[in-house]
Amino acid sequence: MTVKQFFKSSTFKCLITLLCVLLVSGVFLTIMNSLLKVTDEERFARAINKIYGKNVTTESIAVGEQINEDNYHIDEAYLVKDDGNYLVKSTGKGGFDNGTVTCWVVVVVKGGAVSGIEKVVIDSNKNQSYISKINSAFLDGFKANFTPDVPFNANVGFVKTGATMSGNAICRSVNGAVDFVNAKFGNIKEDIFKDKNYTKYIDTANTKGEYDEETATVKFEITTSGAKYKGENKAGAFTIRIAVDALTGVITDYEILIDGSTSATYSGYMLSTIKPDGNYIFVGMDLEAVINFLNNGIELEYPGDGKDTPISSGASQSVHQCLYAAAFATENYKILLPAVEEPDGDGETEGGSENE
Amino acid sequence: MNKFKKITLDGLIYQNPTFMLVLGTCPTLGLISSAFSSMGMGLTVLVVLTLSNIIISALRKVIPNEVRIPCYIVVIATLVTFARMFLEKFVPDLYESLGGFLALIVVNCIILGRAEAFANKHTVAESAVDGIANGLGFTAALTVMGVICEFLGNGSLFGYQIMEFRISMLAKPAGAFLVYGICIALFVYIVDGFERARRVKANKLARENLLKEGV
Repeated sequence: MTVKQFFKSSTFKCLITLLCVLLVSGVFLTIMNSLLKVTDEERFARAINKIYGKNVTTESIAVGEQINEDNYHIDEAYLVKDDGNYLVKSTGKGGFDNGTVTCWVVVVVKGGAVSGIEKVVIDSNKNQSYISKINSAFLDGFKANFTPDVPFNANVGFVKTGATMSGNAICRSVNGAVDFVNAKFGNIKEDIFKDKNYTKYIDTANTKGEYDEETATVKFEITTSGAKYKGENKAGAFTIRIAVDALTGVITDYEILIDGSTSATYSGYMLSTIKPDGNYIFVGMDLEAVINFLNNGIELEYPGDGKDTPISSGASQSVHQCLYAAAFATENYKILLPAVEEPDGDGETEGGSENE
Repeated sequence: MNKFKKITLDGLIYQNPTFMLVLGTCPTLGLISSAFSSMGMGLTVLVVLTLSNIIISALRKVIPNEVRIPCYIVVIATLVTFARMFLEKFVPDLYESLGGFLALIVVNCIILGRAEAFANKHTVAESAVDGIANGLGFTAALTVMGVICEFLGNGSLFGYQIMEFRISMLAKPAGAFLVYGICIALFVYIVDGFERARRVKANKLARENLLKEGV
């Protein structure tokens, strides 16, 4: 066959036709792919909408290499700022035909450990032909059957769906999410004072407080941060017990439990300023009075050593920390008040004020 | 006009792909435990089938006979890929519920069957009507069986719980097979009944005409 014959033959025609069909299909699909591609942001927004039914504020969490070769892979993780729960995207292995199921898992952490599963939503899957049989009753089972330190098993406590292998992969995905959150955040105490007002010189993680129903006061045990000032002689952290009247916001009790002063001399200077006649001057003060004491504005910033201010005493850093603790207590006692049912209508809510 | 009516009735009833030709049984048995998935699959097949029929009919004089099957497959695969993209973008719930069956539309016997048996021998308009009729026949069959299986198997309809009573087996492929068989039997019985009645009526008319002519 000559070249000319080849170009006139049906073989050449078939080849060209096939190539043309392939080319047109390829171009069409390329264009469609660019038009219809679902972005990661869209997927995330869909998942959020499925879980919460609305948009929520999230903060991305670094995942690192959280892989369990046999069971799961952690893809993404977020802290949901609206409710404080953790949202984890986890891929469970071992599904039908060695496929996977990727789920969004809302993990609840309380008291330093995972305390429950709020919701499980399927994101995607690979090779799971019967994934449509995984119904809401199965997914709701994770919330109902959660037991701390006991991994989920598709054969225990779940409704039968007819998609056992996919169910196994989902269980592994959820177990992975729980393991991840436990490993990453399980031992961190809940810090209810974080980012509240007057916390710049307060160690909020080590500050405790509770409402005392009997005396109608909020009792704090405040640890100051210490050593945050410029200068060489930095005062250490103080631990101060403060009681605040729940109704008036006035300090009813003030006691320094751990004195962070660098020496007895400085401690004496400090006490001569804040406890001149045997009683702490902060008792009887509300927030306004505490702020007015320093008289340098609402920020209560440390004015500096050697300045002529109401806290100048030779131990101005210590005095400032004691004053700042008083401001913290009178500002944030409302956070610890028991919840009061609001009347119908536009009632004001109680609780902490916005960040500075 | 009679030609289009015949094509439509064939696709919907006399050559209904699901009940009469028993084609496309893979998604039928896999998806009819949910009415929503069944209807979604039916409508997706309707669109793909209609478009593939139109394209293949339009290209029937261009595509050499020797490579027609690979060309049909490429066209159908392209349309199915497009359908996947479209559903993932705009109807994600349906996309997820169809799972792997969506990709399997590429090898659905109905689509390749209609391309080979009808579209490459008829005009674009006829092929389009054939695609719509067969697609509707497939959709109707799947939806009816989906409603039966979901209602009896899960006590719900299109996801809405209606009753607590359920026969769980009917929500599984084995139950779907049973429902499929019963539906085929009923459908064939009804169509046969109509056909018989039509033939009896035609015979009666012919006999009366003969008597009138005095034969």
